[in-house]
Amino acid sequence: MVTINTASFSSIATLSVIQMRNVSASYDSKSFVLKNVSMNVKRGSNYAIVGASGSGKSTLLKLMNGMMIPSDGVVLYNYQKPDLKNKQYRKSISKIGYIPQTLGLVKNSSVLDNVMIGGLPRLNSINSFFKNFPKEELQHAHDVLKLVGLDEKSNRKVHMLSGGEKRRVAIARALMQKPDILLADEIVSELDAVTAREIMDVIRDAQKKFNLTAIMIHHDMNLALEYANRVAVIKEGDKVLEIGVEGDKIIDFQTGDMSQKEILEMYNES
Amino acid sequence: MNPKNNLLIGAVIAIVVVMSYDVGVDPIAFAEGLPNLGIVLKEMTEFESEHWGTAFWAMLETIEMAFIGTILGVVISLPLSIFAARNISSKYVYAPLRALLAATRTFPSILWAILFVIVVGLGPFAGILAITLYTIGFISKLQYESIEAIDYDPVEATTAIGLSKLQLIRYVIIPESAPHLLSQILYMFDYNVRQTSILGIVGAGGIGFYIINYIKFFEYGKAAVFMLVVLITVLIIDWVSVKIRDKYIMKAQHGQQVKVKTN
Repeated sequence: MVTINTASFSSIATLSVIQMRNVSASYDSKSFVLKNVSMNVKRGSNYAIVGASGSGKSTLLKLMNGMMIPSDGVVLYNYQKPDLKNKQYRKSISKIGYIPQTLGLVKNSSVLDNVMIGGLPRLNSINSFFKNFPKEELQHAHDVLKLVGLDEKSNRKVHMLSGGEKRRVAIARALMQKPDILLADEIVSELDAVTAREIMDVIRDAQKKFNLTAIMIHHDMNLALEYANRVAVIKEGDKVLEIGVEGDKIIDFQTGDMSQKEILEMYNES
Repeated sequence: MNPKNNLLIGAVIAIVVVMSYDVGVDPIAFAEGLPNLGIVLKEMTEFESEHWGTAFWAMLETIEMAFIGTILGVVISLPLSIFAARNISSKYVYAPLRALLAATRTFPSILWAILFVIVVGLGPFAGILAITLYTIGFISKLQYESIEAIDYDPVEATTAIGLSKLQLIRYVIIPESAPHLLSQILYMFDYNVRQTSILGIVGAGGIGFYIINYIKFFEYGKAAVFMLVVLITVLIIDWVSVKIRDKYIMKAQHGQQVKVKTN
């Protein structure tokens, strides 16, 4: 494992949460899902990744929390290589709030039980086996449920909830992790425009309250530009564009292999 | 129908005929003996009604045995099924365990009952042990199969959160595989009541003891009372478990009201 002494980099350490340098990834060692991607996510930023399905967006998130190992290049989370096989890293993984596209909720459990899952890494295995939770953990669970607007439904089984509510549960579970970074994979893609904005507002509130860095994958460019302050565009495993957004102004523009014409076309499409 | 199918059907019929000859199937004996069945059935209708009470208590004992055996078996099966699931346990644990569980299922519970009569003596306890053992083999298999079939998304998501294996089992595996468990337990209890009804034949308690003895001494009228009690009980249990299944299991799985057919 490559670890960099963070003390000597302390000024940088406060800046970057995720660093990717020339990362390539592959599922079958023949074709690459990601090719030579570099990105730098600053602490406190709201980073959006946009691209068509199959462009390699989900793989990017899996590289960030160590569920996948890059076949080439370096991924660093807080200047550490994410690796689920590494015991020391597994402790810090509980600080990465990860919401997969499928949400990964336990359908037959209650909302509260699903949210408590986020806090389990902090708890002793035996006590958590008997659902013997410390008071402050239960309080925290109810706090995050209030924040996402589901506290009255905490005893409801997850399979009885609507699509929007399920997403709120997944957000609450991620917040229960007391994360310093939130990774969300197309969390609003299947929702109607109104519900999608409600969910995005919940995340924005949570971000402010807990001082979170968010990295979110979007299908919809408009939504990304509306909520994020940096947007990266992925096309066929390549990062073709990265823009900085402030209000409705684009303040920073980095192109990759994409021509000006293509960018304009894409922007007009969405 | 194409010629290939005809050939297949012909082959199956030929095999059945050859095998029947081999094991001594004799239709003539059946035809000649049929009147005997008539005699037995006629005698069976001559109920000896003073036996209803005995039959009721013997049936109650049978149900108690089946219930204890089912519950004990299920309780033991749950941890075993987790160790036997391929997606959770190591190969060195699940492979021998699955072989052991398969072995308990290989023999019907009446053979286990004979074995336990030798171990603990005549009576219901031997029967309970036999039922328990068979239930372990059966429920463990059903349960590890439903564990292996659970949705993998929550497992992946919670692994990324950093749960311990015990926590994963408690908060994801068990809730995800549990909805089938109630239906499996009901099925098993239903099955065990029928099994326990015949365990008395080898002296392992229950109503079967009376049935076999009255048949042995040609007291078909008395045997009929006991057999009728078994029949009624099995029908009632069947009916009740259908009701429970409709009410709880369908709802639990789909979270909605079940549409009941109205005639």
